[in-house]
Amino acid sequence: MLESEYQEHNRFFLNMGPQHPSTHGVLLIVLEMEGEYVLDPQPVLGFIHRMHEKMGESRPCQNFMPNTARMDYVCALPYNHGYVSLIERKAEIEVPKRAEYIRVITSELNRIASHLLWLGAYLLDLGAFTPILYGFDDREHILDILESITGSRLTYCYYRFGGVYQDIDDTFIAATRAFVKRLRKRYSIYEKLVTKNIIFIKRTENVGIVSPDMALRYGMTGPNLRGSGIAYDVRKNEPYSVYPEFDFEIPVGEQGDCLDRYMVRVKEIEQSLRIIEQALDQLPDGPIRAKVPKNIKLTPGDCNFAVEAARGELSYYLVGDGTSTPYRLKVRVPSYSNLSCLPELGRGILLPDLVSILGSFDLVIPEIDR
Amino acid sequence: MVKKPKDYKEDFLHQGFDANRTDYSQRGYHLEVALNVNQVRKFAQTAYDLGFYIVFVAGLHVRPDEGQEKENSGLEVVYQFARYDQLYRIKARVSAPKSLELPTISDIYQGADWHERETRDLYGVVFDGHPNMKPLLLAEEDPDFHPLLKEEEKLKFLAEVSWPSAVPEVAKKEAEPETGR
Repeated sequence: MLESEYQEHNRFFLNMGPQHPSTHGVLLIVLEMEGEYVLDPQPVLGFIHRMHEKMGESRPCQNFMPNTARMDYVCALPYNHGYVSLIERKAEIEVPKRAEYIRVITSELNRIASHLLWLGAYLLDLGAFTPILYGFDDREHILDILESITGSRLTYCYYRFGGVYQDIDDTFIAATRAFVKRLRKRYSIYEKLVTKNIIFIKRTENVGIVSPDMALRYGMTGPNLRGSGIAYDVRKNEPYSVYPEFDFEIPVGEQGDCLDRYMVRVKEIEQSLRIIEQALDQLPDGPIRAKVPKNIKLTPGDCNFAVEAARGELSYYLVGDGTSTPYRLKVRVPSYSNLSCLPELGRGILLPDLVSILGSFDLVIPEIDR
Repeated sequence: MVKKPKDYKEDFLHQGFDANRTDYSQRGYHLEVALNVNQVRKFAQTAYDLGFYIVFVAGLHVRPDEGQEKENSGLEVVYQFARYDQLYRIKARVSAPKSLELPTISDIYQGADWHERETRDLYGVVFDGHPNMKPLLLAEEDPDFHPLLKEEEKLKFLAEVSWPSAVPEVAKKEAEPETGR
């Protein structure tokens, strides 16, 4: 289109990001606009691309552990979990029961922390300042609990091939139980503050509807998919670790708008608490780490392992060549596929709705860029 | 709830694909499909019609088999598909020709768009018919830099990084004496 025609139609380009608060990280979205309507939003990725996959294939597999947490810093333990499980599947390592229970407890705590952070940040996007203060208050308890056993507050490197780094103690169990009790009491606060808030509902209801077919074509997973009414959760669908031993539900939405995605995450917090409670009740005694050779040989052949991270299905795909260094390590991250539907979803909507949709996707940019 | 699992091998065999069941507990996927360049689009369409979602598209750099250096680039592209309603994963693999051109599936699975652009970034495989084959993760200034290509001395043959093929298995069976049953 000619420049004169552009001006006639009141069309222009708008750069959203890479330093925009609602892109939640260094993400640039080039928007073609007509007045206040978005014609074509095109995400531009790669600002913090670090080539984790190259690092994965240039060092022995155990040295890649710290990298896993640096892809998704908000929910790092499921990334730990996926990687150790992948190597354990490849090298046929048996993991003691107690270690798997500890992995589930800490992963679920991390998932709740991620959802709480998302809840606060999303409401901040929509113009509500208060919820993030409550969300961070609760999340702080989880970080303290996890710090006491993992030694770090964000980029955990706690799991080991064949188990975990150290055992949990009574203080940890007592603190976790107290936290479960505390968070349940806070539900009514969140409900009054957010869920029943008329401004929030107006901003999210019927906005950014993802149909099941669209989800399938883009490979969407996680709460973003479940908001569209498809009960797909790797923890149930492709059971790993000790998840089959727990009784929990997969919350789903109805029509797949921003409000459904919000409700799914809020309900997931309760389900995670249920898993944690059951795991603490049934926690078996025993060793926390299997005997594992110092140099793990990855036999020739490929191998895949999927886990449910806070944002959806995380798949590690490894090709071994007989040495301890992976020949190829592909990391399939959920946010990458989830965000890729934005050009289709964001066509012809109002700019404030785009902010609402972006927030509801719960993006973590370091995970997308890898 | 997860319904009774269905096996999709026959569906793909019926369409003329070379599909083989694999040991899920060992590999993490159920079906392995070897494609040639002309089958890629038909395969994606079949998977879409059967209701699979796209997991990822990735590359793999190997040494071309001896005597095939002229036709074979050594670049493999791996597609993975899975289902929402039951546990079933498919891995499909295709060798890119020397021209490094493969047909795009981004009009069938729009989610493949970014995965194909990423594969072009990291390996240099070009997807023919892709609407927007620009660098995605890497800088636009240097489109010929492909970080995941391996150095010559680190390259291995495809057979060296694959599971032992079915052929030795048959040979092993023949070699083993029948246990009276």
